[in-house]
Amino acid sequence: MELFTPDFGLIFWMFVAFGVLFLLLWKFAWPVILKTVDARAELIDKGVEYAQNAKEQLDNARREAETYIDEARRQQADILREADKMKTQIIEQARSAAQVEAQKVMENAKQQIEQQQKDAQQQFRNQVSEFALQIAGKIVHNQMQQDDAQDKLVDSLLDEIEKKN
Amino acid sequence: MTRIKIILLTLLLSSLSFCANASEASDSTSSKINPKEIIFEHLLDGYGWEVPFDHHHRIPLPVIVWASDGLHCFSSARLEHGHEYTDGNCKFVIAGDESKYRGKIVELKDGEEIRPWDFSITKNVCALFITVLLVGGIFFWLASFHKRNRFKAPRRGLGAVEGVLSFVYDGVIKPVLGPQSRRFAPYLLTVFFFILTMNLLGLVVIFPGGANLTGNLAVTLVLSICTFIATNLFANKHYWKEIFWPDVPLWLKFPLPIMPMIEIFGMFTKPAALTVRLFANMMGGHMIVITLTLLIFIFSAISPVAGGGATVISLFFSIFMLLIDVLVSFIQAYVFTMLSTIFIGLAHEHEEEHELHADKGNIEKEITDTLV
Repeated sequence: MELFTPDFGLIFWMFVAFGVLFLLLWKFAWPVILKTVDARAELIDKGVEYAQNAKEQLDNARREAETYIDEARRQQADILREADKMKTQIIEQARSAAQVEAQKVMENAKQQIEQQQKDAQQQFRNQVSEFALQIAGKIVHNQMQQDDAQDKLVDSLLDEIEKKN
Repeated sequence: MTRIKIILLTLLLSSLSFCANASEASDSTSSKINPKEIIFEHLLDGYGWEVPFDHHHRIPLPVIVWASDGLHCFSSARLEHGHEYTDGNCKFVIAGDESKYRGKIVELKDGEEIRPWDFSITKNVCALFITVLLVGGIFFWLASFHKRNRFKAPRRGLGAVEGVLSFVYDGVIKPVLGPQSRRFAPYLLTVFFFILTMNLLGLVVIFPGGANLTGNLAVTLVLSICTFIATNLFANKHYWKEIFWPDVPLWLKFPLPIMPMIEIFGMFTKPAALTVRLFANMMGGHMIVITLTLLIFIFSAISPVAGGGATVISLFFSIFMLLIDVLVSFIQAYVFTMLSTIFIGLAHEHEEEHELHADKGNIEKEITDTLV
């Protein structure tokens, strides 16, 4: 069968043609193509990696920013609470200071009132003793208008002095 | 609507076959068609190239023969229809059916047929040259594209070529050969695209195609010889040790080298399997399509009605088979490349990977250059 007997001429030309094609492509075409294909694959891999890294970094940055914002919010709340506390404290202090002051004023007033009361009592006593002296003087004056009464008094006074000495 | 179209198409095809039948009948000189002859004419090589719609004229191709008195070179048109041609002192003729050199050029000397050294540019050789030009053109184009646009991916036609290229390169060659892939990829990729182009061109019915090139034992034989050379010429020590001193019990290899003999036999069966697989698949595909087409004429010869029916059915089936053959063309090219890769890979087991690192360093440097 002719189908199964390879033809010499075709084998010869096949060797020549395939050999020439292979050598030409091997020398001039394949190095360029394969180098580019490999390098491009590597480039794409690197690019994907780069993009992934960038995305990760972006996510990280966003997360970081969020934590910063949270922190800031918390601090704000803290500051507000602190301020509130301080306000009440100040009011409290002021109130207590005012109370102390008022007490002081009241005490002062009380003292003054007491002093005035004492002064008034003293005055009253003085007046009373003056009045008493005047009354006594008047009574003595009335009693000493009789002579024997004068004598008797002098006598008794003299007796008293004698007893002392 | 579609149904009407189908009916109309069927009627049209049937009437066409009636016409064919009628013209066949009116042509008094034409005898009964001989399907075997037509099939083998297509499957085998020829000194001219068929032209559509003409059974008598061929595109003439140069005949180059080294006869008893030296080189002869003339057009194959001079040998058409069994004519004898005298060039110098030698008489040439295409051997007839009863000769053992049927269909080949023979030199007539003293009434005897002598087969000269035949280097003719036959139909297959011409198709081979067309394939070489096509494949060479495509890849020089691709290479120049890459030289002009670094790292830019080609679009359209070249993009498709590169898609197939990466399918083979990244899908077969790299996983199997690993660090050696840059060394053998040129050969393997050339073989792949060469076979693919030959296969696909063979499916085109008219001039630049139609030659049953990969369905020819000579072509597949040369390709597998190349794989055989690539496998054994660059094989490492481990491969040869596996052949001549494999890890088997001593009695299997010492007094009588049974295993080494089997291994050496295996060395040759691998390329033989490659040869026969590609050859048989492609020849089978061509044979089925042409047989299905010929069914029309065979049935028309019996009766016009049968011919009409057969036209519809065989047209449908031959289109189906042609589509399958497109797939088979790709698969066979792929399988040949894959098996070659595996054979070469088996000859390179247990190898250090130092070459890879050198190569990788180069590529990395290049990329940093581009990125910066």
